[in-house]
Amino acid sequence: MERRDAALLRWFNDLAVQGIFTTDRDLKILSWNRWLELHTGRAAGVLVGRPLLQAWPELVERGFDQYYHEALNGQVRVVSQALHGYLLPMRGRRGNQSMPTMPQTARVAPLTEGREVIGTITIVEDVTERTVREAELRSRIDALDDARERAQAALRAKDEFLATLSHELRTPLNAVLGWARILRTQRLGEKEMARAIETIERNAGAQVRLIDDLLDMSRILSGKLRLDLRPIDLAGVVSTTVDVVVPSASLKGIALRLRLAEGLPPFVGDPERLQQVIWNLLSNAIKFTAAGGTVDVVLESTDHGVELRVHDSGQGIPPDFLPHVFERFRQGDASASRRHGGLGLGLALVRELVELHGGTVVAESAGVGQGATFSVRLPRHLLVPDPGSAPDDPLAQGAALPLKGQPVLVVDDEPDSREMLRTLLTLPGATVSVADSVQDALDTLVRCESHQRPGVIVTDLAMPAHDGYALLARLRATPSLAAIPVIALTAYASPEDRRRALDEGFAAYLTKPVDVEALITTITAVLARGAPNGGSPPPPR
Amino acid sequence: MSSILTESQRDALSELINIGFGRAAASLSRLTGHRVQLEAPTVAIYPIQQLHQALGELVQGEIATVHQVFSGPVTGDALLVLDAHGAALIKELLTGEPALPISVDASAQEVITEVGNVLLNACLGMFGNLLQVHVSFSVPQLTLETLRAVLDSVTINREELRYGLVVHAAFRVRHGAVSGYLVIILSVASLDRLLDAVEGWEHRLDR
Repeated sequence: MERRDAALLRWFNDLAVQGIFTTDRDLKILSWNRWLELHTGRAAGVLVGRPLLQAWPELVERGFDQYYHEALNGQVRVVSQALHGYLLPMRGRRGNQSMPTMPQTARVAPLTEGREVIGTITIVEDVTERTVREAELRSRIDALDDARERAQAALRAKDEFLATLSHELRTPLNAVLGWARILRTQRLGEKEMARAIETIERNAGAQVRLIDDLLDMSRILSGKLRLDLRPIDLAGVVSTTVDVVVPSASLKGIALRLRLAEGLPPFVGDPERLQQVIWNLLSNAIKFTAAGGTVDVVLESTDHGVELRVHDSGQGIPPDFLPHVFERFRQGDASASRRHGGLGLGLALVRELVELHGGTVVAESAGVGQGATFSVRLPRHLLVPDPGSAPDDPLAQGAALPLKGQPVLVVDDEPDSREMLRTLLTLPGATVSVADSVQDALDTLVRCESHQRPGVIVTDLAMPAHDGYALLARLRATPSLAAIPVIALTAYASPEDRRRALDEGFAAYLTKPVDVEALITTITAVLARGAPNGGSPPPPR
Repeated sequence: MSSILTESQRDALSELINIGFGRAAASLSRLTGHRVQLEAPTVAIYPIQQLHQALGELVQGEIATVHQVFSGPVTGDALLVLDAHGAALIKELLTGEPALPISVDASAQEVITEVGNVLLNACLGMFGNLLQVHVSFSVPQLTLETLRAVLDSVTINREELRYGLVVHAAFRVRHGAVSGYLVIILSVASLDRLLDAVEGWEHRLDR
């Protein structure tokens, strides 16, 4: 029996995946197992026979001597990792990583023989994996909590929005239904009849605008809103829109003043969308300005392009709300008792539409009661370059069209960029064809009758499958196409890129975003350099 | 149903346990580096059959129980009973780290085991000293079960008449407070011995 016990103990000593050590009644170390030797780096041969608290003075410094005295008194003690970190200082390891201290839990218990306590036994366990797992779990729970809070906030915003939406949709419907019933059931005088119909029309119109706003926002959010860019008379768009809101301003007793700079250059934009921008800013200004107030609209040319300012003397914007005015569904006063209707979409739409035009919009207000100014800045690149033509009528005179009748092929895989180039080059009179890949470009060129063949090709450099360089090489390898000058238009803008492109034989090199004037000038210059149809090829590199 | 105790027995028991609590609080403070206070305990005794009802009014839902069996001249079961909220809070207050749901937070379970161990041993140690007997304890075990399951496990297959001594323990650590209950289940013989000794102790104090 004793021999079997000894054998068992030896196996415990060697096989245990925990640290196990025992002491006698005087806390002298009796045994120190293999695991402990391995992890503390101290051999049983050195430790056995030594007083535990002298061999490990840290135990006393950290108050664990108390636990050993209590164990000698017959009590079991738990050493939890969360409270103590570890029992014995030893290096830990997780995967390949070494850790300065191994996280441990331990039990300190009396060793008894019958009723008598003859010593202590301590079992130490490495809980690295557990502590790491718990920390990971905790951070995942924290992340989930964050996500849930964000989702709840979004849900609240949506609920508020739906409540507002329902209110805003019902309000005009009330008027429409109410007056329609009166019309059906009552005999009205001519004046009242006219008023009823006017009210129905006005409210139905308001609802149409509401629904349009919603649809627009939805299109913008899904990336489906496209601008219908064309040359426009921006001043004309502004004054037309101002005319639309004059009645509501005068009804409220607000003075609406318009100042348009003279001789503004023509401009490329989507007239309906810009009208929407201006209308939203104006109705906002009128909505938040009391009777007797003023709304000023100024359109002027600046160094960077054009600036449209709508300034009102109205209730102003509190500083804490100012950063949020362009956020969707945000309203200064979202309470049920708010005085002003609306979905909180107008200004969000303004910002999106202006940004689609490459512009910016900012709101300024000195605070509540101080009025507000909204400034829309549209960049210069939207100005149509038309040397010599009358500024207000760029397309009327043939002489003003530097590329008139000139066939140009645009090659770009990115649809927006392609269409933008088509529009920009059509304005100065070019006949533009487009291709979305090198192969498409070659097919287009081959299909063309030679007299319709583009005199110049404008190509993007980076395209999937075959790039602009490949296009150039294929053209040079095709005798009938070899003479067509090719202009590289690329977002690669380093001097090395430029040198390489010119070395390879591109007629010119331009960078994106495209500078319209530079593009037209370059095309004109390239065309002037060599006769495009049947002329000499560009100089070899 | 705590009428089993006379007024003076209750006072004496409370005082005795309060001394044990003082020791437990001191050792918890030393362990955690935070000042841990244990409020003066209130005690009541119930026949074991009524224990579920009595405790059920005090702790609800899933509970964490630290269980130690003690043996020697006096034998019985000692339990620290915390509700899930209290269990999580103890870990947070003592370690400063937020707890996970208690069932997956092994670290929290261990902290509760250590705290329960200190508290139960301090109280039973007082009884042992008083009775001048040596009480030995099993290794503390933590269970996450319903109160009914816990009580069934300590009462099963035991026909003898037994009583449960229920001690309300309220910890104060840093800015927070946690309530729990110590339940010491004793045979009627052990309880009688204890109550006699407690009264004797108080008489000696009074003299």
